Amino acid sequence: MNQYDTPEAIAARVRHHMLCTLGKSPDKLTENDLYLALSYTVRDRLAEGMVETAARYERTDAKRVYYLSMEFLIGRSLQKNLYVLGMYESCKKVAKSFGLSMEAVCDEEPDAALGNGGLGRLAACYLDSMATLALPGFGYGIHYDYGLFRQDIQNGYQVEKPDHWQSAAGTLHVERADQAMVIPLYGKIDHAEDRWGNYNPMWMDWNVVIGVPYDIPIPGYGGRSVNYLRLFTARPSTDFDIKIFNQGDYLRAVEQKISSEKISKILYPQDKLYSGKELRLTQEYFLTACALRDIMRGFLARHPGRGFAHFPDHAAIQLNDTHPALAVAELMRMLVDEHWVDWEAAWDITTKTISYTNHTLLPEALEKWPVDLMQNVLPRHMQIIFEINRRFLDSVAEIHPGDEGILSRTSLIEEGEEKQVRMANLAIVGSRRVNGVSKLHSELLKTRLVPDFARLWPEKFVNVTNGITPRRFLLTANPELCALARKAVGGGFISDMALLKKIEPMAEDPAFRDEYLAIRRRNKEKLSKVIFEATLITVDPDSLFDIQAKRIHEYKRQLLNALAVVAEYLAIVEDGQVPPAPRTCIFAGKAAPGYRTAKDIIKLIHCLADTINRDKRTKGALRVVFVPDFRVTLAERMVCATDVSEQISTAGYEASGTGNMKFALNGALTLGTLDGANIEIMQKVGKENVYIFGRTAEELALMEEKGGYHPIELYNQDAEVRRALDALRSDRFNPAEPGLLAWISHYLLSDHDKYFHLADFPDYREARFASLKDFTDKVTWAKKGIMNTARMGYFSSDRSILQYAERIWGATLVPPEG
Amino acid sequence: MRVERTDKDNVSVLVIMEKTLDASMSADFKAMLHGLVHDGKRGIVLDLAHVTFMDSSALGAMVSALKAMGSQGEIALCSVREPIANILALTRLDRVFKVLPDRDAACNELGVEL
Repeated sequence: MNQYDTPEAIAARVRHHMLCTLGKSPDKLTENDLYLALSYTVRDRLAEGMVETAARYERTDAKRVYYLSMEFLIGRSLQKNLYVLGMYESCKKVAKSFGLSMEAVCDEEPDAALGNGGLGRLAACYLDSMATLALPGFGYGIHYDYGLFRQDIQNGYQVEKPDHWQSAAGTLHVERADQAMVIPLYGKIDHAEDRWGNYNPMWMDWNVVIGVPYDIPIPGYGGRSVNYLRLFTARPSTDFDIKIFNQGDYLRAVEQKISSEKISKILYPQDKLYSGKELRLTQEYFLTACALRDIMRGFLARHPGRGFAHFPDHAAIQLNDTHPALAVAELMRMLVDEHWVDWEAAWDITTKTISYTNHTLLPEALEKWPVDLMQNVLPRHMQIIFEINRRFLDSVAEIHPGDEGILSRTSLIEEGEEKQVRMANLAIVGSRRVNGVSKLHSELLKTRLVPDFARLWPEKFVNVTNGITPRRFLLTANPELCALARKAVGGGFISDMALLKKIEPMAEDPAFRDEYLAIRRRNKEKLSKVIFEATLITVDPDSLFDIQAKRIHEYKRQLLNALAVVAEYLAIVEDGQVPPAPRTCIFAGKAAPGYRTAKDIIKLIHCLADTINRDKRTKGALRVVFVPDFRVTLAERMVCATDVSEQISTAGYEASGTGNMKFALNGALTLGTLDGANIEIMQKVGKENVYIFGRTAEELALMEEKGGYHPIELYNQDAEVRRALDALRSDRFNPAEPGLLAWISHYLLSDHDKYFHLADFPDYREARFASLKDFTDKVTWAKKGIMNTARMGYFSSDRSILQYAERIWGATLVPPEG
Repeated sequence: MRVERTDKDNVSVLVIMEKTLDASMSADFKAMLHGLVHDGKRGIVLDLAHVTFMDSSALGAMVSALKAMGSQGEIALCSVREPIANILALTRLDRVFKVLPDRDAACNELGVEL
C-alpha cells in the first residue's frame, strides 16, 4: 500500500473534498456525501494516472486502438475502481470511522446504463482489459443523458421509466470543452467544378452540431495504466440561433437548441428495426464523425508531415457491430475531401485501419438504412458509398463474370421498392478483418450469413471468442470467493485468469469445499434480501438458485424455462411428486419497449409466480420470482449466488453470450444448449461439469430440410407437454384475466416456431432434473462448481484482447517500466 | 456587418471585422459581394483573420459571388484560421477558392500590390 492509500491519507482527501468541492462540513457525513467525496478522491488518482499513461504511450509511439461502440454498459465505477486500485479495505475503514457502511456508500452510485446488454457490457470489459494489459486502447461512444430505461413492474407488466443516470454520476467525467468539434449534418451536394475543371462535389447548406468530449478514466488492475473512454455530448453551435433570437422568437430559438442537443439525449432501446429512425442514424453518424475527427487530429499532431499512408501503422479502429459502420465512408470522406488523398490510396488506408465485429446471425437483424434517408442526412456520405459500391461490384464482376446473383447479394445497396444501404456489407467491404465472437458463430458467419464474402476474402474472417473481466465479475462481484482463491493460490489470477487452474486440486480438500459452499450460501442470502426488497417475495437460500438473467427475447427461450416451471409445478400438485431438492426459479431481464412477445413473456412469468408461490403445496419445493430492473449491479449480485445458470438459446442463434461466462466463473453450473460460447465453456470445464441438452444447430437445420418442424406431433406424443400447454390455455394461471395466456400454446404448437421450443423440451426437463438431483449431493456439487471456477481462465477478456491485438489490430502492449 | 475595404485597380480587399459569419449576416455579406461584382471587380480578397466560425449560409454567399463573377473573376481567401480551414476542406471549397497565407500573398495572386 502506498502512502496515499492509507486510511489516514484517504480520510484527509475526503475531508478536503467535503470542504472544497462539496462545500460541506466534513464533521458529519451522509452515505451520499462519502460516496461523492470518495469518487472525487479516486478521480484525482485516476487523472494523474491518465497523464502518466498518456506520456508513456507518447514516448513509445505505439499503435493506438480505437474501439467505437454505440453502447458501453459500464455499471457502477466507485467500488470496482477501489478494488482495482487496492483501496477498498482502506476506504472501508474510513467509512467505519464516519459511522457508515462501505457497501451502503457504494450503493449510492447509479448504474451507468449506456447499453442494452451483452454488446455494451463486452465493450466495457474490453476497456478494462486494455487498461490492465497496458494496451493503448480507447473507447469512443455517446454521452447519453438518458441510459437504458429503468424497468418497473406493475401488475406483472413491464413499465419503462427514464434513467437520468448523470444526475448523480457527474464525479466520473472530465469535460474536454477545449477539444470540442464541429459536425455537419444534412444539406445537399452542389455538383460544381474545382479551379482545374475537375468534378467537385461540394457539401453545402448543412447544419452544424458541436461534439463535446467527456473522458471517463479506465484504470487497469493495480492502477499503473489508466486509459479512457471518450463520450461525446451534442451541443448546438451557438446557445441560440441568433437570427431567430434577434427576430424576437425566443421560443423557436430554444427549440432549435433542443433539436441539436437531442442527438445525445437518449440511448435507443434494443430494436432490430432502427431503419427509418432518423435520430438513430444521426446518432450513429455523430459518434463516428466525432471519433474520426479526434483520431485524425491526434495522428496529425503526433506525426506532422508523416503522410497518411502511415495512418494504419498508428491507428486501428474497431467497429463494435455495424452501428459505427459509417466510419468507412467518413474516413474516406476525410481523406479524399479534406486531405486531398486520391481515392485508391484512401481506400487502401481505410481498409488497413478499420475492422468489424459481427454480433448476430439473424439476417433480419442486420442493419439497413433507406437510401433516401441517408441522402437527406448525409448527402456526401451517400455519394461515397455509391462510389465504393461501384468499384467493389466491378471487382466482383471481374472475378465472377456473368454471376448476377453474387452481385446482388454482396452489393452495398439492396434494391427493391425502397433502396437500402446494407451496413454489414459496407463494414465487411471496408474492413481489414471481420470477426465473429465464438467459434461456432464465426463458422456460421462464414458458411450461413455472408458466404459470398467469405469466399472472396477468406483471410479477412477470424474468430475472437468473447471474454469477461475478472476485475468486475470476480474481484468486485464476489470478493469472498476471490479472497478464498487468493489465500489458496495467490492473487495472480486477477490479472491472469488462467492461474485459477491452480485451485483445481482444492476440489478434493473438504475444508476448501466447505468454505466454497459457505461463500455461495452467504451470497445467496444477500441476493435473497435484494429479491425481497424488490419483490416482497421470500426465497430460501438453501434451495437451488436457478437463474436466467438476460434480455428477454424469443431466441433466448425464457418461454422454454417457463414451460418447464409449469410442468414441474403440475408434477408437484397433480402427481404428488416431491422434487429431490427445492428449486427457486429466478428470472430477470428487460424487454425492448416495442417487443410485444417479450413483454408478454414477462407477464407470463409473473402469472406463474403469483399462482405457484401462493399454492401451499409448493412450499419447500418450488418458487418463482422475476427480479425487476436487471442491470450490471444486479448481475454482480446474481452471478455469485447462482447454482444453475440457464443458457438455453436455440442452437445457432446466440452469437456468444457472456452471461454464461460470468456465472460459470463464479461456480454456477451451466444448463445450456450447444450454442455460442456454451460449446467452448463445455470443452474447457468438462462435460461432466455442465448440463448440456437439446439439438445442435446442424440437427435443427437438417430437421428443417427434411420435412420441417411439427410440434403438434410432440404435443400428441408427450403427456407432460400436453398437460403443461393445456394448463396454460385453461386460465389456471390467469383466473382474473381469462384468455391472457392462450397465445402460448398457439405459438409453441405452430410449425413456424423458429426457436423450436418443444423440440428441446423433453431433453431440457431431464437436464433440469439431473441438476436438481446432483444439487442434493453437496460434495459433488461443490466439486463441480470449483472445477468451473478453476477452468474458466480462457474466458478472460484479457485473453480476448490479446487475440484482437495479435489477429486484428497488430498492436503491442506498453507496460510501465520496472 | 463590419468590414474594412481597400480597393486597388479591379481588386477589392475586404477585412472581415466579425468573429462569426452566420445566417444572421449572410444576407448582408452576399449583397456586399454581389455589389462588388456588379461594380465590375474582377478580384476579391477576403481576409478572414478575425473569423472563427462560418456557417454554410456564409459559404453559400461566397460561392454565389464567385459564380456571378464568371470565368474572369477570382476570390482569394487569406489569413484563414484553423476552424475555417476545416470547414473549407469539409465542403471542398478549398479547391474552388484560392487560399493564401496572408493579405500580400492573396493580392499577389490576383496581380495587385497593396
